[in-house]
Amino acid sequence: MVTPALPPPAIVAPEPGPTVSAALTDANVRVTSAFSGAQIVLYGAVFDPETRPSDVVVIVRGPDQPIRIARKVRVAGLWVNSRPVVFEGAPGFYMAASSRPLTEIASFSTLRRLGAGIDHLPMNAPEEERIETRYGVRDVVVSRLGGDYLEWRRAVIRLKEKASLYATDHEGVRFVDRGLFRAEIDLPTSAPIGEYQTEIILFQDGEPVSRRARTITVEKAGLERWLFLFANEQPWLYGIVSVLIALTSGWLASVVFRRR
Amino acid sequence: MDIYLPIAEVSVNAGILVLLGAVVGFISGLFGIGGGFLMTPILLWMGIPPVVAVASEANHVAASSASSVISYSRKRQVDFRMGGVLAAGGAVGALLGVEVFRWLRLMGQADLVVSLSYLIFLGLIGGLMLVESVGSVLRQRRGQPPAKRRDRRPVWLYGLPFKVRFPRSRLYISVIPPVILGVFVGILSAIMGVGGGFILVPAMVYILRMPAGVVVGTSLFQIIITTSLASILQAGRNQSVDIVLATLLLLGGVLGAQFGARASSRFRAEELRALLGLIVLIMGLQMGLVLFITPEDPFILVGSGK
Repeated sequence: MVTPALPPPAIVAPEPGPTVSAALTDANVRVTSAFSGAQIVLYGAVFDPETRPSDVVVIVRGPDQPIRIARKVRVAGLWVNSRPVVFEGAPGFYMAASSRPLTEIASFSTLRRLGAGIDHLPMNAPEEERIETRYGVRDVVVSRLGGDYLEWRRAVIRLKEKASLYATDHEGVRFVDRGLFRAEIDLPTSAPIGEYQTEIILFQDGEPVSRRARTITVEKAGLERWLFLFANEQPWLYGIVSVLIALTSGWLASVVFRRR
Repeated sequence: MDIYLPIAEVSVNAGILVLLGAVVGFISGLFGIGGGFLMTPILLWMGIPPVVAVASEANHVAASSASSVISYSRKRQVDFRMGGVLAAGGAVGALLGVEVFRWLRLMGQADLVVSLSYLIFLGLIGGLMLVESVGSVLRQRRGQPPAKRRDRRPVWLYGLPFKVRFPRSRLYISVIPPVILGVFVGILSAIMGVGGGFILVPAMVYILRMPAGVVVGTSLFQIIITTSLASILQAGRNQSVDIVLATLLLLGGVLGAQFGARASSRFRAEELRALLGLIVLIMGLQMGLVLFITPEDPFILVGSGK
């Protein structure tokens, strides 16, 4: 399920204002049995007749994946998991690369509005929320996590970063020549299958002046795709086939060894 | 050669998997067990998601058990009727176990229950086996006569209804104890990704009082049926069997099992039991250790809500 997470790209103004343009070396990642992650290079250029100082931010957002996270708690001397909290709206992959630290490029509210940067990901745990009336104000959303919410959220990001699924790189966008920049997108082996929305935003004086969107598709291919579809579309037949393979090879081995 | 597994969605070294399959297969043939209790923890340490490890391992156990059961059956060491009764219970247990595992996963408690089951069952049985067999090895060394086996059969085994004759085991007992045993082992096989031989074999000897000669063969026969069913159920309900992973493991597994079965005649039964007890005990403690160590990170991702 892919929800369009980013607003559609702004229509490039017809008057000669500053614009950004970009292309990917590989917009289609095929996951075959030899897949061990992928590196995609994004090239782009800033066209600005007035050559004002420009900053470029590249945001890559993979398909949404609900995240289940538990906290280890000590019960009777044993470390056990708490009831898991489900976070929704979090992408399965997220990368924010920029030419400078995001906080130097634009204000907090601008970044929040654009959803640029890990801190601005709209993640929430709807199962923990309830709506109640507080201080006479109706329909207030209250989370059961309370003040711990930030700690849980930080833990999600920390664990995802550890798995190389989330990344923030303040020097990820490098200007290689006047107006010409490049950024690298590293997909780990565990990168989810689906459409990755890539947005390239040009900032000048803290304001987004031009945007471009590109899509990366990660899909299983060849035998991997065939087996995955088989396992998901005809699970019972798949199960029977896998057991038949197991039993037949066991039987074959014993026949072969008996002859010797 | 690294290979990307289509269901587990991780990249692993194919050669290492075949080799591991062969080593565990060898142990499985040597002791007449499935070997799941060794392989499942190894797969978890390799980073295979628990759901996939448990389901695919059931498939691997079915293969290596099939590889060795045929030679036991040629030697008339399989009690098919007893195996069938155990397997009927095992089928019910596997059905229950797959649902229980599904529910545990949703509650985020699958890891805990898997670790606890390993610690309790493997620790207990490994410890008992080790103590018992080391004792008998020591007595033999000192030239003492082997400890007298309490051969008095428990009354409850005979007082229960639905008695059935098991000619190959020379038993005439109620089917209730073997069915219950089968259910229990079936649940474990779905939750722990094991065949359950390490529980079945002692239970058949000490509870059902079956003759030692038919115990291993019969246990393997029942394991094939239970794990085959568990494997189909896991594939059908959870879509969690990785056929590539299972095939790589069983390539080595079925061959290793044959060599293991041959090697087993070179060792004395007590020494083999002591060694197996030690391996089982170490695995149990190793898997249980995680419950006692303060975790590095207090938070843990418990799989995407599939």
